[in-house]
Amino acid sequence: MARSELPLLDDELADFVRGAVSITLAGCHESGVPHLARGTGCRVAADRHQLTVLLAASAGADVLADVRSSGRVAVVFSLPQTHRTLQLKGDDARVVSLDPGDPTLAASYVDAFANGLQALGYSGAVIRSLLQADPADLVGIRFTPASGSLQTPGPQAGQALRS
Amino acid sequence: MKPKLDAIRVCLDGAIPGTIATCSRDGVPNVAYLSQVQYVDAEHVALSWQFFNTTRRNILDNPFARVALIDPITAAHHRLLLRYLRTEEDGPLFETMKAKLAGIASHAGMAGVFRLLGADVYRVLEIERVPGATLPPPPPRANLLAALRASVEELCLCSDLDGLLGRTLDCLERHFEIHHAMILMLDAAAGRLYTVASRGYDASGIGSEIVLGDGVIGVAARERTPIRIGHFAAEYSYGKAIRDNLARSGLSAHMDTEIPLPGLPGSNSQLAVPIRAGQRVLGVLYVESAQERRFGYDDEDVMVSLAGGLGAAIQLLHHGPAEHGDEGRSAPSAAAPTAAAQAGPPLRVRHFAENDSVFLDTDYLIKGVAGSILWALLRDHAETGRTAFNNRELRLDPRIRLPDISDNLEARLILLSRRLVEREAPIRIEKTGRGCFQLRVDRPLVLSHVGASA
Repeated sequence: MARSELPLLDDELADFVRGAVSITLAGCHESGVPHLARGTGCRVAADRHQLTVLLAASAGADVLADVRSSGRVAVVFSLPQTHRTLQLKGDDARVVSLDPGDPTLAASYVDAFANGLQALGYSGAVIRSLLQADPADLVGIRFTPASGSLQTPGPQAGQALRS
Repeated sequence: MKPKLDAIRVCLDGAIPGTIATCSRDGVPNVAYLSQVQYVDAEHVALSWQFFNTTRRNILDNPFARVALIDPITAAHHRLLLRYLRTEEDGPLFETMKAKLAGIASHAGMAGVFRLLGADVYRVLEIERVPGATLPPPPPRANLLAALRASVEELCLCSDLDGLLGRTLDCLERHFEIHHAMILMLDAAAGRLYTVASRGYDASGIGSEIVLGDGVIGVAARERTPIRIGHFAAEYSYGKAIRDNLARSGLSAHMDTEIPLPGLPGSNSQLAVPIRAGQRVLGVLYVESAQERRFGYDDEDVMVSLAGGLGAAIQLLHHGPAEHGDEGRSAPSAAAPTAAAQAGPPLRVRHFAENDSVFLDTDYLIKGVAGSILWALLRDHAETGRTAFNNRELRLDPRIRLPDISDNLEARLILLSRRLVEREAPIRIEKTGRGCFQLRVDRPLVLSHVGASA
């Protein structure tokens, strides 16, 4: 995708992926076997062309290896309160080190997500325990969303962002 | 040590939705949320197929899937590598998942959106414990195995069906802290289950019926599999079962012969387990709770085991030497004269041939086999003054159309006897020994028969 094109994410979707949403990443090994990892926060570039999803390297080692070898990644963002779900895919993904503000971003993401779920009756402690990561263990996967679809269960599930 | 699938079943019950990753044939990954991961056995799980989506296309092209599951209590995070095997579009697994999905959908505000198209069965190739912090597990609620053992030992001591059913409900309360329960017996010929014992409801509902295939109880009996729901699901609720039942029953509905099913208002967790003897389904053990997700896989396991013990005990009492040894010889020949004991205005007893329903004055009492039993007893009593009867002669009595030789006559008598007590009828059936009982009539009766043959 040429960088001069409009970004796939508009302002509203950029806010959505940075919000208190559940984040899951997947990669594909060259054997065709998929891998999964949890994300712990997302940063969107100022021009909205690229985003960087943070994750714990130890728990996400297989997805990181898949991304390093294929450049392909799929990321799903879902807001538990509404089930609104967005999947973004890219084929220029690479593993990047953190920006200075990223550990803080990850910590505030975990807080916001855990608080949101706690309001729904889930245990905040469980969510914090699940997502807390040693800042030294955090890495990022940066990619340009080449395709995206809204996957909220219902008649509009699977609707592409740009046809 | 690698975790085993049975050790992480609590993660399958969906308190925290699982995720699935698949890859297209050309290596494009995809992520989706899972409504349901069903434990099939130690090496297989089933996922609900609800939509024709990318996940569906991918697994048909490339059968590998990765599923992430989180323990809702400890936050332990597991990932499973799965290989797709097949899709089941009917049968026990499908019905189990369909019922559960109805509860999940209703809980998620997705009733009418989630519809089960198939149960996708996968082999579990690997289970990986994802590194990360966990919380300490809570102390166990109760030792279910100890509760099961204590219950089964108590059931072994029961010497008649009535006592056995009551003791089963006692055990559920005392050992399992389950306070709302029913036992229903299957009338296979009629395609219905009838309630013979219940605990924890305002009205006992003894004699109420469920059509095979209706609600969690009817589906459990029809599919011969446990059905467990952790959230209220309108389409499996009694309200619907009762409405369907009424709609189907046609004429008898006009005659007002429906006994309301007992049921817990605000029931959120429901578990119906077939009571079996070998391959035969004898009935259903049903438990429920207002608490969401009250019953997990472990509860389901112990209820299946308890129902197994109950089924064996019912079968033993039914065919055991005790009953047959007694009932032939123990019917006392002396028919106590009863007319003297009868007092008060005469009670009109009407029997309708169409469905063997019996009305006391204008009040519905009972129908079906139990109705025909009562009618035969009352006629004998009217004609000969007889009060002593035994099970063996009833089984052979051509006036009582038992569906088949294996029908549980004892259960029909319990049902009849309880209904008479609950309706405060001046007619009672009292057990006098194994396989024999006495008819007690406290008011003069006027018998009238409505319909074809008398």
